[in-house]
Amino acid sequence: MASRKKTLLKVIILGDSSVGKTSLMNQYVNRKFTNQYKATIGADFLTKELTVDDRTVTMQIWDTAGQERFQSLGVAFYRGADCCVLVFDVTAPNTFKSLDSWRDEFLIQASPREPENFPFVLLGNKVDLEPRAISSKRAQQWCQSKNNIPYFETSAKEGLNVEQAFMAIAKNALAQQNSTVDLYNEFPDQIKLTNTQKPSGGSGCCQ
Amino acid sequence: MDQSLDCLESCVYSSKYRQLLCDLKNTIEGLLVTQVANVWTIYGGLNRLHNIMVKIFKHGCKTSEKEGGIYKFIQGLEWLQPETAKSYFHIECEYRPHIPPHLKRNKSSIWLYRNLENHSLSQKLSWLLSNQTHLYACYHSYAFLCQQKYSEATLICLRALERNQASLISEIDPYLFLDKKGAMKVHRRCSSFPDNYFKKVYEEKTSRNMCDGNLDDIKEDHKINCPGRKSIQGKFKPWKSMPILHNHFEKEFTKVHCQSKTMPNTPEHIKKTESQSLKLKHGLIHKKHTKVREGSKVLFNNLSIVEHTPPQGGSQVIENTSKEDITHTCPLPRKSNRSGGLSTSPMQVVESFLPKAGEKDYKKLPKKSFIEDGGMSVLPMSTGYFPKPAKGQSLLSFLCSSHLNRTNAELDRENAHFSISEAIISAVEQIRCKCGLKEIDEQMDDSDPEISDLKQKIRLRRTAKAIEKHRKAWVADKLNDIASETTTTASPLSTSSASSPTGSCTSLSSWAFDDDLSDSSQIEQSVTVLSSNRLSASTTTLCSELDLSRNLSSLPFSLPPRGTPDGASTSETAQIDVSAEGVAISLIRKFSDKQLPKASDLEWLVSEEDAPQALLPLPKSWPVSPDSCEENSTPLRGTLEWAPPRPQIIFTPHPPQRKKLSIANQNYRCAGCSMKVSSKYAARFRYCEYLGRYFCTGCHTNQLAIIPGKVLQKWDFGRYPVSTFSYRLLEQMYTDPLFHVFELNKNIAKLSKNLQICNQYRQSLYYLKDFIFSCKYAEKINQRLQQERTYILTDPGVYSINDLVNVKKGTMKEQLALLFQTCCRHTAECKICLARGFICEICDTNDVIFPWHMKVVTRCSRCGSCYHSACWNPSKDSCRKCVRLQKKKESIARA
Repeated sequence: MASRKKTLLKVIILGDSSVGKTSLMNQYVNRKFTNQYKATIGADFLTKELTVDDRTVTMQIWDTAGQERFQSLGVAFYRGADCCVLVFDVTAPNTFKSLDSWRDEFLIQASPREPENFPFVLLGNKVDLEPRAISSKRAQQWCQSKNNIPYFETSAKEGLNVEQAFMAIAKNALAQQNSTVDLYNEFPDQIKLTNTQKPSGGSGCCQ
Repeated sequence: MDQSLDCLESCVYSSKYRQLLCDLKNTIEGLLVTQVANVWTIYGGLNRLHNIMVKIFKHGCKTSEKEGGIYKFIQGLEWLQPETAKSYFHIECEYRPHIPPHLKRNKSSIWLYRNLENHSLSQKLSWLLSNQTHLYACYHSYAFLCQQKYSEATLICLRALERNQASLISEIDPYLFLDKKGAMKVHRRCSSFPDNYFKKVYEEKTSRNMCDGNLDDIKEDHKINCPGRKSIQGKFKPWKSMPILHNHFEKEFTKVHCQSKTMPNTPEHIKKTESQSLKLKHGLIHKKHTKVREGSKVLFNNLSIVEHTPPQGGSQVIENTSKEDITHTCPLPRKSNRSGGLSTSPMQVVESFLPKAGEKDYKKLPKKSFIEDGGMSVLPMSTGYFPKPAKGQSLLSFLCSSHLNRTNAELDRENAHFSISEAIISAVEQIRCKCGLKEIDEQMDDSDPEISDLKQKIRLRRTAKAIEKHRKAWVADKLNDIASETTTTASPLSTSSASSPTGSCTSLSSWAFDDDLSDSSQIEQSVTVLSSNRLSASTTTLCSELDLSRNLSSLPFSLPPRGTPDGASTSETAQIDVSAEGVAISLIRKFSDKQLPKASDLEWLVSEEDAPQALLPLPKSWPVSPDSCEENSTPLRGTLEWAPPRPQIIFTPHPPQRKKLSIANQNYRCAGCSMKVSSKYAARFRYCEYLGRYFCTGCHTNQLAIIPGKVLQKWDFGRYPVSTFSYRLLEQMYTDPLFHVFELNKNIAKLSKNLQICNQYRQSLYYLKDFIFSCKYAEKINQRLQQERTYILTDPGVYSINDLVNVKKGTMKEQLALLFQTCCRHTAECKICLARGFICEICDTNDVIFPWHMKVVTRCSRCGSCYHSACWNPSKDSCRKCVRLQKKKESIARA
């Protein structure tokens, strides 16, 4: 069933402001990079189709606001995520230190069924820049402590490792979806609209 | 002319033009950057600039070097320039020893050099450029000077240099420095015409005409197209010829899109007033149908010369001028350098076009809202504004300038006394200083110390004597003054004037006393001034404004004694008499033979930089109760009895008062104009519901207005009679969001159900706008919201009077409801907006909640997280997200 239908993978990118979340997404989806910084407000997403293990999947990548002041909008989109990508800047130690809180925040807001097994992927971005503040060893140690999270060192600017990282993300997301497919309904997007407003039918299907 | 060829050529030469212009600009910028008073003190500056100007002049010149080169072009001044300047032309071409020797042979170079040196090149060049035929007779069409935009830019550069204002350079169209030819913007003609010069010429002209007694001449002079009157044509050339240039330009580059719209030359009728004078002050440009377009070019048809007829105008009559309609299309300098750039504030410009307080035609004029100008454009009001003299303006012309003469309330008349007496003091000080320096120079020559010592002694003795004499004279003078005061009280000219001349008198004498350098003749001079003070003051009273300006233009400064004024003008002249500048002129005139310093050269005792008047703590929005005025220790504005009304925003209605008592509190003076009436007429005073004070029937015409205080406190939208001043003020603030209604009256929601509903919608929209504005799928709604006034969305509690009226009518509720529903519909369907919703962390259901579901949702005021109202009580429970954020901060701080 899953092979016939297009599979939608929902991926959330989290991390401190200006670590390169938007840049990574843009590099991966549009193969473009700009040096200009523009803070993301609230959340935005891009989609990309790719083939994983002979299956065509649509990856819906949600880019989020790292800046606190832009977090006054809600994060309802955490719900139903298949994978969470944590990003830090290898030249900025504080962005690494706040990874824990981002992870916790995600687990609280998304409240997945099995928090301990939920797939995270860690990306150390901006490896093209010097000097490095966080060694790959240190990052790897952190990953090990969190149930062996896969770790990639990327450069959104140079497109380094971006493709590989997202492929891994897709695989992890797919694995997660397969393991919980019977728990969720057919669609991964679980936003139910039981509020006073008109429910939007089929909002889960994007294309 | 062959258009295509022309275009091609201009293409080929454009890089050359750019280079020449860049050279010029860079050199001038370099000269101006040091900010020295005289740019020519910079070594080599003049020579460099001269070289560049020679290059510019030579580019594309038809006549070869041997045949005289550019001299032929320059020679055009002989007939282009007005007669007065003509005679100097040949002198200017003569060699002087200080000019570099290599220029000795070249008349044109000498001419350039000398005109650069004495800052008159821009003016002369503009004359030269004004005549197309002459220009094209001397230059090929590809010449630099034939490129209108570049020659304009050159003029701007030169003018910047001459005025020592580097900022002027920024007026040059930046496209001129760019490579791309495509983006051709229409140049600004406005900055090119020699405005000051025009004014001068014009005044000279009129004064001559007046002297001739042939007033019809003026009319004649305006027939500038008349070929027979060549000289006059020359004078008016810049006004008239620019449009011709412009048309020419359009013809040549037909493909170029010209932004300029020349307004139809509809004739402007000069006021057909019989008793009022034709005032030739181009500073008082009457601006009609002008719209400042973003493009920055303003054309206004009709001439700017006439049209202002102050009430105290003299007796010159020009009749039937409307027969000869004078039409010009004249450009307006964008940064108004009107009559010497006295005005600095843009408000001033607006001010000049506003009618006097109480006139009712203000609706036609461009109106500023209260928020924009703080009610400043509502008269009467004082801003402590004082005009600054233009560079090189003579002291007399400064004092006579229109800005000082204008009787508007903005120019604080009382402050003018201070400022002008300051001007006089510094002028006299400077004269004294000069004399002193001269003497020191003389002393230097006397090498023998003994002789100089003796001289010094003699001088001291003389001074002592003179002071003695002077003292006596002064006392006598004072007595005389008092006597004359008492005797002439019946005359309308007298009493009010007495105070100011005496004041200046003392200041003059004070310097005279401690003077130990000036020789006795100098002191005698001052004594004569003092003794003639009384006389001169009264002389001033007799000479009207017009006389002054005429006097100014007819060169000898000495004022011929005027006959007694005719009955009609006495009351008007009395006003002049009080004015500070009138007194000042009469004083300063005594020194006219002493080579008065230029107004701009005066070192003001307290300069504008030291004490920017705008920053002085004048009470602009001080709530002064009309009754407590007297108790306040220092009245900062007005007198003890009266101060002009200020543009206040009053939030509360005035408690009812007994009319008699209130008027007595007002000292039987009208709150608007300070007119005092006897108590029996006081009953005619009218109450202004807004200001809560009584006004005379002139200042209060029973206009009706909604009173904000009554609306806010009682939800009373009745229209009540208000003074003209208040009416204008209220009208101005009608649509301004000035009222935080719920803060001004906590119970106001109880007064109106509609307001309650509106408030809820406003609050909801306040939250909604964050979602809509940042949603890429909400373009249409976004546009719709953008049209809304911003405060409607960003400040939920703020209303204008207009809004409140709409709330009352119910239209506000409908509009907001519509807006709210549109937005809600979007957020309920939009994927991104839904994703940006909240999920209640406490019950952890998958319901998406939004902050505008105000009945079921509570929002954390700190982080903005939303919870179900049933799940979370903001007063009891702490916000979970806030707790986490706090933790995160702490952990990062620790690490």
